[in-house]
Amino acid sequence: MLKIIKRLSLSSVIAAISFLLVQIVCALYLPYLTADIVNKGLITGDISYIWSQGYLMIALSVGSLLGALVNTLIFSRVSYKLGGELRSDIYRKVLSFSNYEFDKFGASSLMTRNTNDVTQVQNLVEMGLKFVILSLAMLVGGILMTALLSPVLALIYLGVVPFLAAAAFVVYRFASPLYAKMQKLLDTLNRFFREGLTGAKVIRAFNNEDKEYEKYRASNREYTRAAITAGTIMSVFVPLITLLISLSTLLIVWIGGTSVAAGTVQIGSIMSAISYAVQILMGFGMMTQVILSIPRGQISAARINEVLDMPLSVKDPQLPSEPEKGTFCFEQVDFRYPGAVRKTLENINLKVEEGQTLAIIGSTGEGKSSLVNLIARLYDVEKGCVKIGGIDVRELSQTKLHGLVSLAPQKSTLFMGTIRENMLLSKPNASDEDIWAALEMASAMEFVTSLDKDVEKSGGNFSGGQKQRLCIARTLLKDAKLYIFDDSFSALDFKTDTLVRAAMKEKLKCAITVIVAQRVSTVMNADLIAVLDHGKLAGLGTHEQLRASNPIYQQIIDSQFYKEVAV
Amino acid sequence: MNGKGMGDNNNKKGLINAKPKNMWGTIKRLLGYMKKSSWLLVLTVIVAIAGTIMQVISPKILGNALTLIFNGIKQSSGIEFGGLLTILLTVAALYVGVFITSFLQERMMTVVAQKTTYTLRNALKAKMNKVPISFFDKNATGNLMSIAANDVDNIATNLQQSVIGIISSAILIVGMLGMMISISPILTLLACVSIPCSLLVMTLLTPQTKKNTKKYYNLQGELNGRIEEIYQGFLVTKSFNGEEVALRKFDAVNAKLVTSGWRARFFGGIMMPSMSLIQNIIYVLIVVVGAVKVVGGSIIIGDMQAFLQYSTQFTSPLVKLLQIWGNLLSTIASAERIFEVLDAKETLDYQKEFPNNDDETAKVVFEHVKFGYNGATLMKDFCMEVKDGQMVAIVGHTGAGKTTLINLLERFYEIQDGSIRIDGTDIRNVGPDKVRQQIGMVLQDTWLFSGTIYDNIRYGNAKASEEQIYAAAKAAYADDFIQKMPDGYNSILGEEADNISHGQRQLITIARAFVSNPDILILDEATSNVDSRTELVIQSAMKRLLKGRTSFVIAHRLSTIYDADRILVMDKGDIVETGNHKELLSKNGTYADIYNSQFAQKSA
Repeated sequence: MLKIIKRLSLSSVIAAISFLLVQIVCALYLPYLTADIVNKGLITGDISYIWSQGYLMIALSVGSLLGALVNTLIFSRVSYKLGGELRSDIYRKVLSFSNYEFDKFGASSLMTRNTNDVTQVQNLVEMGLKFVILSLAMLVGGILMTALLSPVLALIYLGVVPFLAAAAFVVYRFASPLYAKMQKLLDTLNRFFREGLTGAKVIRAFNNEDKEYEKYRASNREYTRAAITAGTIMSVFVPLITLLISLSTLLIVWIGGTSVAAGTVQIGSIMSAISYAVQILMGFGMMTQVILSIPRGQISAARINEVLDMPLSVKDPQLPSEPEKGTFCFEQVDFRYPGAVRKTLENINLKVEEGQTLAIIGSTGEGKSSLVNLIARLYDVEKGCVKIGGIDVRELSQTKLHGLVSLAPQKSTLFMGTIRENMLLSKPNASDEDIWAALEMASAMEFVTSLDKDVEKSGGNFSGGQKQRLCIARTLLKDAKLYIFDDSFSALDFKTDTLVRAAMKEKLKCAITVIVAQRVSTVMNADLIAVLDHGKLAGLGTHEQLRASNPIYQQIIDSQFYKEVAV
Repeated sequence: MNGKGMGDNNNKKGLINAKPKNMWGTIKRLLGYMKKSSWLLVLTVIVAIAGTIMQVISPKILGNALTLIFNGIKQSSGIEFGGLLTILLTVAALYVGVFITSFLQERMMTVVAQKTTYTLRNALKAKMNKVPISFFDKNATGNLMSIAANDVDNIATNLQQSVIGIISSAILIVGMLGMMISISPILTLLACVSIPCSLLVMTLLTPQTKKNTKKYYNLQGELNGRIEEIYQGFLVTKSFNGEEVALRKFDAVNAKLVTSGWRARFFGGIMMPSMSLIQNIIYVLIVVVGAVKVVGGSIIIGDMQAFLQYSTQFTSPLVKLLQIWGNLLSTIASAERIFEVLDAKETLDYQKEFPNNDDETAKVVFEHVKFGYNGATLMKDFCMEVKDGQMVAIVGHTGAGKTTLINLLERFYEIQDGSIRIDGTDIRNVGPDKVRQQIGMVLQDTWLFSGTIYDNIRYGNAKASEEQIYAAAKAAYADDFIQKMPDGYNSILGEEADNISHGQRQLITIARAFVSNPDILILDEATSNVDSRTELVIQSAMKRLLKGRTSFVIAHRLSTIYDADRILVMDKGDIVETGNHKELLSKNGTYADIYNSQFAQKSA
């Protein structure tokens, strides 16, 4: 939290605090003047004195309002600016992540950190800064002003403070963990409910409605219990503090009374001291509010800092090199996902020349996507190296590398906007003709009527096959040295699949093409087919070679064609 | 995550502009949910009244103490400490009384509010089990979540604050006004000037606050949507060097968000100080006028002190009442949204018996079934008979009604005419649970709940033994990858189960279906996300498992088609062709068409 507070501009904070102090000092001085009016005006019957002090009071009120206006302005600006800054910094940082860091958090966790956690911190900074100072000033100021009126009376308030502190400590110690627990239970409760919605069919198919209901009810009961306990603690706390302060005012009247009799305290002072009790009470109430909201904000702050402090695993080299030719190769590459026991890829050796097509085939989870992700350096290898144009990808700047490689990932991803906007992502300066040409290659002309056609969130208004074709078109639009299609043809029927691959041949003539697929028909025409099995290269060669000698490749063929012969 | 962010925002917007439709009806119904705690509620009201009265009279009595002191010095007869002590002890007793009553009312109201929302939550959850599946087609998850989470929460918070708030504020206002008038009607009039002034300030500032708050939430929704999209498409953004563009768009919205945010906060924040200025000015006037009166002898000093206390406290219950009114409206709007869900139509419970056919030899029969989603007719007159132990492959273009068939058999949707029978019994004559007990299914959507893999597999049959679960996992070829995970079978799947691949999730759902050991098996494109080699192994394992079972497979793979006893070719909600692969191909009809576009491979 401290780290985030340090981001605030010192001058603004000082200015805000000064105006806050103006507000409080003016407000605190009012009861003092009342005492003055009573002591000097009322008792002596000096009406003109009462008036003159009254004017002063009104002037002070106006001053207090001005102070309040300015400090509210500065505080709200400062905290919302901080929120905006944090939001933008997290976003920037996440965009600089490689997949390694991104996976560590996960998309939904990063989203929460970027949105809800920032809002939490923003609120805490605004409320916290303002109210900590406000409450302290009211607390200390109230006691000080009472001391100014009569030191004896101030001692009474001073005596109450330890009790107040003890009460606050108890709340902090017992109530705030309870609130944290409540939040957790509530999250579970909501998760159960959400699962009941998203899994409605499965739950019913397995007749688990009652089980789900019981699970929810048990969790609901636990939450309700925690909420009642927390509520009970709070319902003792507020009245207790009020009671303590109220009783101390009685003490003030009693001791004040004896002192008045002795002539050491004037009656107006007693009246004002009672007014200060209200100030002290308010100050204390605010303080506990802030204290209670600190843990939640602190958790959010910690979550934000985790993102901001995350070291980048993929770093740009000090002196980036320039690749010459468009070959690429894997040399004894080992790779494993962070924390995994087993290697995902082991001892991969490959070499592809300019103009060639490499196809990668293998079962689910055998590391096909991992392999192509290594080319785009979305992860770093554990051992060995990946080279493009004879240069290790780690020696290229990421911008340069991503400029060389055009990737269509496994999950067809489109963004909200128009088709044109989605296409321009891969080549910002492309003309409409370029885009149409790419769409034509991807057989996407039949359903794209206009480049201004809207694309809904996540491409929701397109079918799976249409999304894939748009993604293929986007990948083709970019002028790259290396084109990667990670299972990008799976949702296309055989006719379209063949058509698209034939159309893109011309464009990719001088580049390297990498195709990941599960269908033999998609890969059979490739110059080089890599068969992956359990993370290892189980075969490398042309369709004919592999069909003749590679048992795993034969198995794959059989699984897809096996009864064709029989029919 | 998808609907969550937006849902929150929609709800917040809803909370700002809450307009109840049927206020009294809703309040009555909400009170119905508090029936269980009705005596607590009554007690709370009594305690609140008692507490507030004590709160109202204590300043007046304390004022007497001051008068005593004042008179003591004025008349130089000395202060009568015995009397003073009595007064102070009385007030102390009142203070303790206020403490006890406020604790009691807070605590009781917490219980009432929490118990009420506990009941509401359970009712909502139970309702979700009773509504037909079509309900979920019409109501977005985000929206329902927002009702179950935010609206219920809104009721809990406001219920607790509003009930006590209304009672105590009303009594405070009346009581204080009474006390003030009894001290001095003229000063009371002066104090009341603050009411219209405060209202003026509120009407000046509230629109600005509202406007900016609304803008803030809208922009926040927009920005959150943007973040969500970019994070979900992270790979694409990165690999196309799209960071710059993404940042530029983000910054533009973010800047606007910051501006509307601090403006909303500013206008909201200066409300209180502006009101205190008014209060302070009035306060000064009261002091001055009061002082004149005290000097003139028409008000005694203790009453003056009491009056000052009343006048400073008197506007706060007024403001509070106004706030409560706003909260109450939003509470009722929340309750209305909840009740709307609770009133949704439930799965039909037919009061009549449909004719069974006891001599039927077929396992599953569809007879003249008529059905359509939302009024549009999809199936006009659908007939089909499947024998015990048959494996039926269903083939057809998208929208041909393949999934509908499954939905009807599972009784997720109700047919409009005709009948569906299993073993001769109309499925509407027995409860849906009885029907579903016989059917196991693996859906296209691989739903898993957050929990261990073990529990997810066991979900198919709570009574399954440990061995059965491991056996099922092995049969589904899931054992291998599960063993490789850090915690094996005890690995916890995340909420969206994104720590395993789609293919792996599919395998777990297959294992789950194995465990349930059903009579009838439904596979809805279940293997379309498993690569063909893995699928081949699954197929052979399934073949073993399918023995003696009737199965329906929505086919997307050649191997499925070859293995099927029968292929049903569907088009526009009807069976257009039926037979085995060879027969159908020779007909050169719809099947041949589909086969050529979806399955055939030119070079094969």
